[in-house]
Amino acid sequence: MKKYFDVNSPSSVPLSLYIHIPWCIKKCPYCDFNSHEASISFDEQGYVDALIKDLEVELPHIWGRSIVSIFIGGGTPSLFSPESIDKLLSSIRAYLNFNSSIEITLEVNPGTVEANRFSEYKAVGINRLSIGVQSFNDKYLKLLGRIHTSREAEKAISICKGAGFKNFNIDLMFGLPSQNTNDALLDLSTAFDQLPTHISWYQLTIEPNTQFSFNPPNLPCDDNIWSMQKEGQELLKCNDFFQYEISAYAKKKFASIHNTNYWEFGDYIGIGAGAHSKITNFNDGKIERFSRHRVPKRYIELAGHSDVIAHKKILDSDDISLEFMMNTLRLTNGIPANLFFERTGLHMNQIKKELKYAKDRGLLDLCGDQIVASSHGQRYLNDLLEIFMK
Amino acid sequence: MPSLKYIRNFSIIAHIDHGKSTLADRFIQMCGALSDREMEEQVLDSMDIEKERGITIKSQSVTLYYEKNPKEIYQLNIIDTPGHVDFSYEVSRSLAACEGALLVVDASQGVEAQSVANSITAIDNNLKVLPVLNKVDLPSAEPERVQSEIEEIIGISAENILEVSAKSGVGVEELLEQLIQDIPSPQGENDAPLKALIIDSWFDNYLGVVSLVRIVDGEIKVGDKIRVMSSSRDFIVDQLGIFTPKRNPKKILSTGEVGYVVAGIKEIDGAPVGDTLTLAKAPADESLPGFQTIKPRVFSGLFPIDSADYESFREALAKLRLNDSALHYEPETSQALGFGFRCGFLGMLHMEIIQERLEREYNLELIITSPTVVYEVLTTSKKIITVDNPAKLPLSNTISEIREPIIVADILVPQTYLGSVITLCIEKRGVQKKIHYIGSQVSLTFEMPMSEVVLDFFDRLKSVSRGFASFDYTFLKYQEADLVKLEILINNEYVDALSFIVHKDFSQSKGRELTEKIKEFIPRQMYDVAIQAAIGSKILSRQTVKAMRKNVTAKCYGGDITRKRKLLEKQKEGKKRMKQFGTVEIPQAAFMAILHVGKNK
Repeated sequence: MKKYFDVNSPSSVPLSLYIHIPWCIKKCPYCDFNSHEASISFDEQGYVDALIKDLEVELPHIWGRSIVSIFIGGGTPSLFSPESIDKLLSSIRAYLNFNSSIEITLEVNPGTVEANRFSEYKAVGINRLSIGVQSFNDKYLKLLGRIHTSREAEKAISICKGAGFKNFNIDLMFGLPSQNTNDALLDLSTAFDQLPTHISWYQLTIEPNTQFSFNPPNLPCDDNIWSMQKEGQELLKCNDFFQYEISAYAKKKFASIHNTNYWEFGDYIGIGAGAHSKITNFNDGKIERFSRHRVPKRYIELAGHSDVIAHKKILDSDDISLEFMMNTLRLTNGIPANLFFERTGLHMNQIKKELKYAKDRGLLDLCGDQIVASSHGQRYLNDLLEIFMK
Repeated sequence: MPSLKYIRNFSIIAHIDHGKSTLADRFIQMCGALSDREMEEQVLDSMDIEKERGITIKSQSVTLYYEKNPKEIYQLNIIDTPGHVDFSYEVSRSLAACEGALLVVDASQGVEAQSVANSITAIDNNLKVLPVLNKVDLPSAEPERVQSEIEEIIGISAENILEVSAKSGVGVEELLEQLIQDIPSPQGENDAPLKALIIDSWFDNYLGVVSLVRIVDGEIKVGDKIRVMSSSRDFIVDQLGIFTPKRNPKKILSTGEVGYVVAGIKEIDGAPVGDTLTLAKAPADESLPGFQTIKPRVFSGLFPIDSADYESFREALAKLRLNDSALHYEPETSQALGFGFRCGFLGMLHMEIIQERLEREYNLELIITSPTVVYEVLTTSKKIITVDNPAKLPLSNTISEIREPIIVADILVPQTYLGSVITLCIEKRGVQKKIHYIGSQVSLTFEMPMSEVVLDFFDRLKSVSRGFASFDYTFLKYQEADLVKLEILINNEYVDALSFIVHKDFSQSKGRELTEKIKEFIPRQMYDVAIQAAIGSKILSRQTVKAMRKNVTAKCYGGDITRKRKLLEKQKEGKKRMKQFGTVEIPQAAFMAILHVGKNK
């Protein structure tokens, strides 16, 4: 691959840090992330130490670059004590430069136990919470196998605000088993009352190898889900939540920095069991993806060694252009055309034919310097993306 | 050189599953041609497809040496024959190289129609037909009943019929003795000019054309300059030999023998099947009669999914045609499918086999359009045109009449299923001509339109008779019929590759069923897809494939993109066999939807 990158300004590709905490009290039947039910105890201390050792190994790959965001996700990261989070963040601060407006998000479960820790999380440096509410209706919470109630969720949110978190996200799902449009919209209205800055509103989908895939629930029909989505999007808009990605809605200036970095094909280091990374090497222009061992016990053993990497792949130019599109076309407003070169180091000619084809089929708008999926293209994004597969 | 009296050339005639291949294997084993380790099941069926389907498509030969006693060693040449109705033409080719045939009949199933037809061909070719009862060790065996069936239906004496079990080997030795005694040794003059009949030819990537030949007169040696009589082209013989069934090189093939010849022939049509080989320096006066050319009965369009494959597709067809003269092809252009070939086949099985071979052996991905028979059209200007492609049917105002091919179907069925078989034949517009009770079986003769027979008649017949009915058919005549062209429109555009010719009385129901079927095959996509059936400008029926509401992955965990990619790859893979038609993707299967009409009744 040719060296197209400007090697003198590696900072032109933003860098994020993702930290994976792989335990939950109970695995949800729809979840296909790398999470494990926490048995009586899990090695919290050992895992935090492992994460720090793991980060050290990564440092040579990101030398001199500052990070724009940290996301601690899971699993249920709020199972970890504020002391552990403190230790983790302190070490990271010692190793990495933080961008002045860095976003540091912690994913939390809206249970009573966790809520009592919110103010301490704030104190150790977390500046954004992502609260996994999923629904404000106990009927659906039960169907989804969640361990909290809607009351607990509302309480947790009020504690979150009381702790001084101005920036927080509520995760909500729609298209739940036997849900009607009314119930879906009611969940949104209840969320608005909590005054979040961000709502992730996404459709429940049955992923392979989840409990739901083996024992499928009775999901609403396509037509009903479609009307939920249309009416919900209208409601979000009326309440000043602007859609910026397929499933992400935010108040002005509160789009998640961390998620936006994914969608804009930025770089990220993922540490923790099963975490994925994508790093650009500015010396040779190569882009590499890799992931770590998934099983927590094994991860703890291997952290600090290069063996902790389970899979590694240097992307070829076809991979890069496809993955660039897979991410950026999810953005409601698309991206400026020059971002393609900035993030991939490849010339636009690489995808010229495909862009034209997609445009001719009404799936893509190329207005001025902006590349954006048309409304038709957003609706049939998978068909649009298929065009970029070689 | 073996003396003629120690050579026996014979075929084995048997219905599918009546045990032909097992018997051949047993012969091979008894004559020690292969070690047990080499003894792969059913060695004669050498194509992958043949093994998988348990059928024989192409003729194959094997030479065995049977030691009756140390002084009498017999050379036995078995020329294998296909057992399916589609390939009866191949049977007559094999029989032309033989002096006798074993008629193997399952002792519980009884005589089946194709075996009857093939036996009669053998008898007409002056072959000695030796009936054999197989599977006599099964509890359901009824040797007496089957024996009388053989006598009544085929009309040969089965008085001293041999009873064997090819599976256990019981009676096989006796059978060998019997066939040496009963089947005549070949005639011919070893000193006469060479006449070698090409039974089969195929293309080998390393050797070029390999031909299976029967030496009728004279002999052929490595280094001889041979002449292909039809083209008068000369070649030097590089290799000779016999199949044991491995290729076993020899220096010489003499009168009466069956073996292979490799003569550096690189052109695919260098040694056509049925042609005669002779020596360049002492040529024979006249060539052997050869084989009658066979006309394909079923036509369909084959189109490469990737238009870049067109040339390799043409080459592949030429190679297949080399030893399958029943395969016809000529270029065809479709508005919907682009450049391809109109191919003619003996029947549906033949078509499937060719399709599979093209895809497997030549790595081609193809779309096949609905098969059709050949119609005759009498135009208003009194000209007769043959139509093998519904899209090419002349304008209706220039047609005086359309004639369809009629066949005579001979069906053998146990009495229990007689009613349902007759019902089926009448449903297929058949006219009963003869009915004849033989023991527990009934022999039925129907005249039926070929178009009704080629599509799914065979499958339906098997299903209404639980597999017990068998049939064979021959072309009879062209006959005027009230036929119309049914056209299919996708999103209001006529798709030439989906049109077909149908009897007017059935046009309404066929049109409705076909649009319903096509609907099942077209997946929901970004836009509504309207499927209409029409005759001229009259729309008979309409179905709509509703557009998908959306096609988006809701939650995409940013870090791990690999799963999402797999999803897209799966989606793309699913569309591989689809053809873009305007904004609509039509899967390959939709072009064959006609085959599924009426199946789930």
